[in-house]
Amino acid sequence: MIKKLSLGAALVAGALAAGTAAAQEMIRIGAPLPITGPLSPEAKKQQRGYDLWAETANKAGGVKVGGKRIKVEIVYVDYQSNTPRAVQAAEKLITQDKVNFLFSPFGSGATKAASSVSEKYQVPTVAATASSAQVYDQGYKYLFGTFTPNDTLTEPLADIVGREAAGVRRVAILARNDLFPLAIAQEMEKSAKKRGLNVVYFEKYAIGTLDHASALSQIKSLSPHWIFATGYTNDLILLRKQMADQRIEAPVVTMIAAPAYQDWIDGTGKLSQNVTSAAWWHPAVRYKGKDVFGSTENYVKLFRAAYGALPDYAEASASAAGAMLQLAIEKAGSIERTKVRDALSAMNEMTFWGPVKFGPNGQITSLEPPVFQIQNGKPTVIHPKAIRQGELQLGVSN
Amino acid sequence: MPLLYLQILANGLVLGGLYACIASGFSLVWGVQNVINILHGSFIVLGAYLAYFAYLQAGIHPFLSILIAIPVFYAIGYGLQRMMINRIIAAPVLLTLTLTFGLDLMLQNGMILAFTADFKKLVLDPPLGTIALGEMVLPVDRLAAMVLALALTAMLYLILSRSRIGRAIVAVRMDREAAALMGVNVPRIYAITFGLGVMMAGASGPLLAMIFPISPLGGPAYLGKAFVICVLGGLGSVPGAMVGGLVLGVVESFGALWFGPEHAITLSFTLLILMLLLRPHGLLGRKGYE
Repeated sequence: MIKKLSLGAALVAGALAAGTAAAQEMIRIGAPLPITGPLSPEAKKQQRGYDLWAETANKAGGVKVGGKRIKVEIVYVDYQSNTPRAVQAAEKLITQDKVNFLFSPFGSGATKAASSVSEKYQVPTVAATASSAQVYDQGYKYLFGTFTPNDTLTEPLADIVGREAAGVRRVAILARNDLFPLAIAQEMEKSAKKRGLNVVYFEKYAIGTLDHASALSQIKSLSPHWIFATGYTNDLILLRKQMADQRIEAPVVTMIAAPAYQDWIDGTGKLSQNVTSAAWWHPAVRYKGKDVFGSTENYVKLFRAAYGALPDYAEASASAAGAMLQLAIEKAGSIERTKVRDALSAMNEMTFWGPVKFGPNGQITSLEPPVFQIQNGKPTVIHPKAIRQGELQLGVSN
Repeated sequence: MPLLYLQILANGLVLGGLYACIASGFSLVWGVQNVINILHGSFIVLGAYLAYFAYLQAGIHPFLSILIAIPVFYAIGYGLQRMMINRIIAAPVLLTLTLTFGLDLMLQNGMILAFTADFKKLVLDPPLGTIALGEMVLPVDRLAAMVLALALTAMLYLILSRSRIGRAIVAVRMDREAAALMGVNVPRIYAITFGLGVMMAGASGPLLAMIFPISPLGGPAYLGKAFVICVLGGLGSVPGAMVGGLVLGVVESFGALWFGPEHAITLSFTLLILMLLLRPHGLLGRKGYE
């Protein structure tokens, strides 16, 4: 009975809403996120990014649609770190909450799963945290992603090291046995082999590993020139510390993704010196964009004012997803889904995130992810050339 | 190649020292009181935060923080047992487990609120460094942890075997009713034991803070190790936690070498299952206390 009543009420409300659309119009964007469960820290980052965009856009009066400005609202649904629920959440957002557009759930796996729903209902969807090629090879027309494929991180790294560290022949790779950390390690292996480097060690460690001493002893005995390790902040603080414990040194040490976070730099102290990394974005990059944030510098400033911390690439990507959507709506001059989809597809703009142009599969192609190195406790961009702040320094010692 | 094996053995032994630190108090409480203290891991984390902030804000070296942690955590443990756990100590083990599990959730969330979920690390300046024995390298902080584990183990062993309180603890473990009839104040003995257990957790926190990143949710990882070590070494046996820790450290180190680092954890739990099947009272435990 209650269900029927509320359904009836919703219908009436819907009719009323349509009637008073001019007065109460809002652009509603659905965001299914893992707000509870093991992925909740990631959801928090996404939320910070989306909220900052929505606030900034609304403070400017809203999104320009034709001659007027419409405010935006983000509708969050918690899918409890459970991918099947992410799909249900996306469907609920579209069919019941009647959102205009969608942001994808977290990570490549859930993004891929939910993308079939948004495709079915033809809802333009921007994915802020999906890099795997398998997400974008489904022939979908409504999915757009802010991350380039994983090899765009390892290829420039391998190029730079090949060019500037002539003696580097032997590579050791140690990866966290987890979706993204393992995928990026496998790309690194390919990038290294392609350039004739000798991959002398490739091993995975389990999630929750408390000790890397054995793996590192083995790596030390192989005396590699380039140590490439993947994992998150806690893994790589421990790993770097244990390298020092065994007096392991190498001309090049690369770690992904932890050095992109200030936690890691603080947690390793002097041991962070000369460790290289790559990410899709870094607060040290400098772009002047046409989006609502204007420039990377301004974005970082706004983020700091709002949250008292530096944005990392996941947070910035969420803000960028909103900024791109806004650019597309403004270009289309309409919130009609197909028109916005076409505008996203045709987009060729500069933003605080970098240049934005999507390939035919919807994944961004224009972005050149920065390679950076921690020098004296500060991340220094060493690639791409246009935003370079310093040269690659060789030698990671203890 | 022999050098590699020697280094791996050394790695395993110093890792084992850390493990012994993590497990000894947990083993005591489980063995004597039949209480599985799920809070144990989070108390280690709390001890680590104590050392972190003491070093950051007052420049107190983590070694000195251990001396602060000892009375503080003993008092916390004593009070906790007196006020809460004693009320259900005679109930089936699942109830005390549920109670400490609930308290653990509260402590974890409290630490998230107080310290944020960001990883922190106590970075000593200058670092303690390493000692080289020929080609073999050993980190000083892990050696210190091993020494501490040995010292705490020895201290606990002496308390249990030489002091009146210790005799009373052992008596309560053997037969609670008989001990009570002999005039032993059982609730007080329980509170002392629990205090000692929490004290060991808190005292190992500052050492682990120099080695591992600190996170409010780091407790369960330590707890998982403590479980395996207790089953290996034997419940309630003080030297057992030491031996169990060392065995686990060495097994994991060689496991990582032979089967790859991704299987080190699998190996330790396989060992746990095998021990439960073949020798449920552990390496040094006595039959009847498992």
